[in-house]
Parts: sequence; structure tokens; C-alpha cells
Amino acid sequence: MVGAARSGFTLVETLIALVLSTFVIGLATHAFLVQNSYYSTQTLQAEAQDNARAATQLLGLDIRTVAEDGIVTAGARTLTLRTPIATAIICNKAGAALGDVQTPGGEAGLYTPTVAGLALRNDSTWEYAIADWSTLNGSDAGSASACASAGADTVGASAEFHRLASLSSLFSTTPAIGDVVMLFRETTYSFELSALDSVSTALYRTPRGFAPLEFVTGMDSTAQFQYRVAGTSTYVDTVPSASVASIDAIRVIADARKRAASGGLSDVTFGLTTNITLRQVR
Amino acid sequence: MTGYGTRAIARGRGGFVLALVVFMLFAISVAGAAGYLIVASEFAMARYSSEGGEALAVARAGIERFVGEHSGTVPDTVSYAMGDGVVVVTTRKLAETDSVTHLYTLKAEATVADPRTPATPARRVVTAQAILRRRPMPHLAALITSANSVTVHSFGDADGVDHNTAFDCVGGGASSITGGVARGAISGVLNGSPSSEIWPGGWDAIRDSIVARWDVLSDPDFPVDYENTLPPLGTIPADSFPLVRFTGHNLTSTSGDHNKGVLIWVGELRPWFLFNWEGIVLAENIGEPFLGFLGGGSVDGMLIGGLNADNSPSSVEIRTDVRYHSCDVYRANESLSYFELLPNTMFEAR
Repeated sequence: MVGAARSGFTLVETLIALVLSTFVIGLATHAFLVQNSYYSTQTLQAEAQDNARAATQLLGLDIRTVAEDGIVTAGARTLTLRTPIATAIICNKAGAALGDVQTPGGEAGLYTPTVAGLALRNDSTWEYAIADWSTLNGSDAGSASACASAGADTVGASAEFHRLASLSSLFSTTPAIGDVVMLFRETTYSFELSALDSVSTALYRTPRGFAPLEFVTGMDSTAQFQYRVAGTSTYVDTVPSASVASIDAIRVIADARKRAASGGLSDVTFGLTTNITLRQVR
Repeated sequence: MTGYGTRAIARGRGGFVLALVVFMLFAISVAGAAGYLIVASEFAMARYSSEGGEALAVARAGIERFVGEHSGTVPDTVSYAMGDGVVVVTTRKLAETDSVTHLYTLKAEATVADPRTPATPARRVVTAQAILRRRPMPHLAALITSANSVTVHSFGDADGVDHNTAFDCVGGGASSITGGVARGAISGVLNGSPSSEIWPGGWDAIRDSIVARWDVLSDPDFPVDYENTLPPLGTIPADSFPLVRFTGHNLTSTSGDHNKGVLIWVGELRPWFLFNWEGIVLAENIGEPFLGFLGGGSVDGMLIGGLNADNSPSSVEIRTDVRYHSCDVYRANESLSYFELLPNTMFEAR
């Protein structure tokens, strides 16, 4: 019997075990909560970084391809750019208004709803004319053969030749054979109050002719654009329209903010500022 | 403390600690795996972004290199290994403003692959428009030199009358051109319409007039068909007039120098009696005749010297037959065709 009595726990042992267990479980719970808080913060941080990076990459893609004199509006919260969809050489004229061109992939390779207009290259810049695709689109029949007759190499690319219309009414001088034209899109980027998250700022992307698209939600209210004018070293929030053509670099301040859902966490912010030089390709 | 009850308590605590350790190890493993995934994902994104940027740079550089290095007939496709990538430049002629001005669209597709993920290279495409300046050199005179004084010896001549009497080639049958041109004075055996002219403007005026791009052609990095060697004449196709460059000072042409094409002589050209060239000879300087050389040799086409500065020596005696041959000049001139990028036309294609 003595042996059986010795095989059980004493009250003291049980109490000690309870105290120790409580301490260990409390310790583990605290560690878990800290870890969970840390994980949540990290997740928010990663999301904020994703937002900032997405905004910067989207803007960078368009800014680095902006054509000469392709900035239309340069404000702290709004930026309107003209970027090429395709450039082409007029290889044949069919009257003053019609001209044949070749673009990679042909007309099928163009996302024509985004066409905002046509630009004509001169020695130093582009002359822009706003016109939607229905105005510019001519009948493609015979374009390739007409260009081939004029000396163009159409082998293996007949489907890439198509006809542009309205050429005589768009520019100060009617384009001729050998002139370079550019189909361009015009896109407005703006930092505005988010429609998806009423307490957040969003980056909107608005191609000409389209409704605004909320591209990146979760930007901070401090997100904005700044501009450097050629010959200066500082960036400013806005540029008067007379000096827009002189902008040679755009600073994208892609500040992102992720709001903490609960648990007493603070909002997480992430600032990503990128200076993008215009016309990196000549 | 070695009784049965103590061992039982010890076993019970051991089991509890083991469970705690396993739990902690699991939690650490999960956290580690999550951390690794995040870091790996970030690394992959950063790497791909970096490679994309490099691919764009390679594509742009590919177009610049093609335009800078091209001379003569336009290939459909050229491939370059540049940096960590490869760029393929394709050309397509789209318009002919006139017979010597053609417009091309150029497309450069660059890929940069990471050795760890070769199946998914970063890819960028850049397009540009360019003008091909065909046969850029005007037929101005059989002999043009920026030497101050030129004497055409009776053993040679400078003749601007077209020696392509057969009229059997494109560009043949041209009108007579000037026989010889010098900066200050020219005399001797001269023929043409007129037989001679004085161009006081010096070497830079000559360089601008002949559109020879001497600085490009004489650059050792500019690729030519033959460098410091002459191909056997019989191995050159009949319709080919290659670029041949000799570089050095006081080079002396020697035996077996009957050839054709565009001879780019970086240094002092001192023709010998076996020197026979069909096409265009561009020389940094035309020197004195080879020691003991009485006469002989010929240039059927055009001979132009003194392109980097006024010809040195300033007084030159020509003992070679320099005879204008419109067909040879026409064909050699084709090898000097070059591209010019149209400004504001190079864009990334997306």
C-alpha cells in the first residue's frame, strides 16, 4: 500500500505542475500572439510594398516610353501621357487622305479601342492629332500590294499592312510617302480617393475614351508626382503648361498605406520614390 | 528520489516537454517556410525585373550597334550576343523616297536568361525607323586630295572621262567629271570636264563633300570585310565590292595588289607599279611614290586622299593612272551605304 501511495501525486506536486504549466502555456501564448502580430505586420508591409511596386511599375512602363512632347498634363496628383502604340512609315499614298502603313502584327495586333490619335514626326518632335480609330481606319484591301509596288518589302508580312484615313485633315501638312506616323494612346494617371476602400487613396488609370480604372488601391494620401524641367536640378509638384514640353524626368512618389484590421496594430506605410527619365530611348 | 513515483513524474514531464518542443519546431518550420517563400518570391521578382531592364538595354544597344556597324547590303536579320543576352535585329524596307534614300523599320528582340531559369528568359522588343543612305558618295572627280600642290607625272594621269565605255552596268555611261582636285595648285596630265579644280576649303571641306564618313570607316572597331589583307581577286564574286582596310603608318602597297572594292587606307598610301584597284580608294594621306617607282599601276574609279587633316606631304606627285570608272564607283559606293536612325522613333514595343 505504501508503494501505491507513493505512485500518486502529492498536492504540492500538482500545484507546482499547475503553476509551471500555466507559466509555460502563458509563455507560449504570448509568443504566439507576438508572432501573430509580427506576421500580420509583415503581411501588411508586404502588401504595402506590393502596392507601391505595382504603381511604380505601371507608371514606369508608360513614362519611359512617352514620346517627345508627349506629356499633356503635369500635376501633383494627375499625369496625362501620350505613348506609342505603334510607329510606322507611310509606304504608299492613295490620294491625299489615305496612306498605307505596316505595323507589327497588322491591324489585328493593335488594340484599336485605345487609339487616341495619330502623330506625324518632323525632325524634332511629333505633331499630335486626336482621332479615334473609326476616323483613322481605312480599307486595308490592296495596302500590301500598293506598298510593294512602291518598293516596300512585303514578303511574309502582307497581313501587317493596312490603310490609314483622314490624313489630309489631321495635320498642318499632309503626310507624304516616307513620313513616319505614330498611333498613340493617351493615358491619365491620378491619385484619388478609392472607390473600393473609402478611407484609402488609389491610383487610377484612365485611357482616353475609357472610364477610370482603379488600378492600385491602398496608396497613401501623400502619393504624388513631381517633375524636373530640363536645365534644373529640383523636382516640383506642378509644371505650367508652357513648360510641360521641357520636362525631362518624372518622380513617382508611390507612398502606400495598409490599414490594420484589428488587434491594436498601427497602419503600415511604405514609401517608394522613383525618378524616371523621359525618352530613355531616342 | 529514485523511487517509482519520481520516475513517473519524470516521464510525465518528459512527455510534456517533448510535445512543446515538437510544437515549437513546427511553428518555427512554418515561419521559416513562409519566410523563405516570401524572400524567394521577392528575389525572383527583383531578378526578373533586373533582367527585364537588361533585356531592354540589350535591345536598344542592338539597334544602335546595327545602325552603327552596318555598311552595304542590308541583311534581313542580324544577331548579336551582348551583355548577358542575345538580340536579334530584323529589317524591313518600307519606302523608297528616291533611288538612294530608302526607309526601313528595324526591330530588335532581346532576351536575357538566368542560367537557373533558362526556359523563361526576360524579353524586350524595341522598334525604330531608319534611313538607308545608298551610294552616298557623289562622283565628283577621279582624283581628290587635300594636298596643297599636286603634280600628275607623265607616267600617270588623272582622268575624269568615264572609262566604262561598255555602258553595261547600272550607273555606267556617266558624264565626264573633274579630272583632279587639289587645295592649292594642280598640274600635269589631267583630263575631264573640267580637267582640274581648286578646292581651297581643305580636308574637312573634302570630307563633307564626299560624304565618306572617314571617322567611322577608319575606326578600328568598325567592321570591314577584310582587315590588313587582300582577298584573292578570283574569290570575290563579280557583283561584290568589299570593304578592305589597311591600318598603319607609311604602309607601302606591294606586289599582287590588284583588287577591287573600297580600299580604306589608314596611314600614308604610297602606290607601287603593281597597285591596281577597281573601285574607290580612300586614303588618310597620299604619299610620295614608292622609292624608285617610275610609273604604272592604276585606280579605276576614284582616288581620294587627305581625309583626316590636310594631306601630308603637302606636295604630291602622282605617277599612277587614276581613271574615273562610273560602274566601279557605283558598285563600290553601294558598299558604303549606311543607316541613319530617325530621331524620336525608337520605342519599346509592348
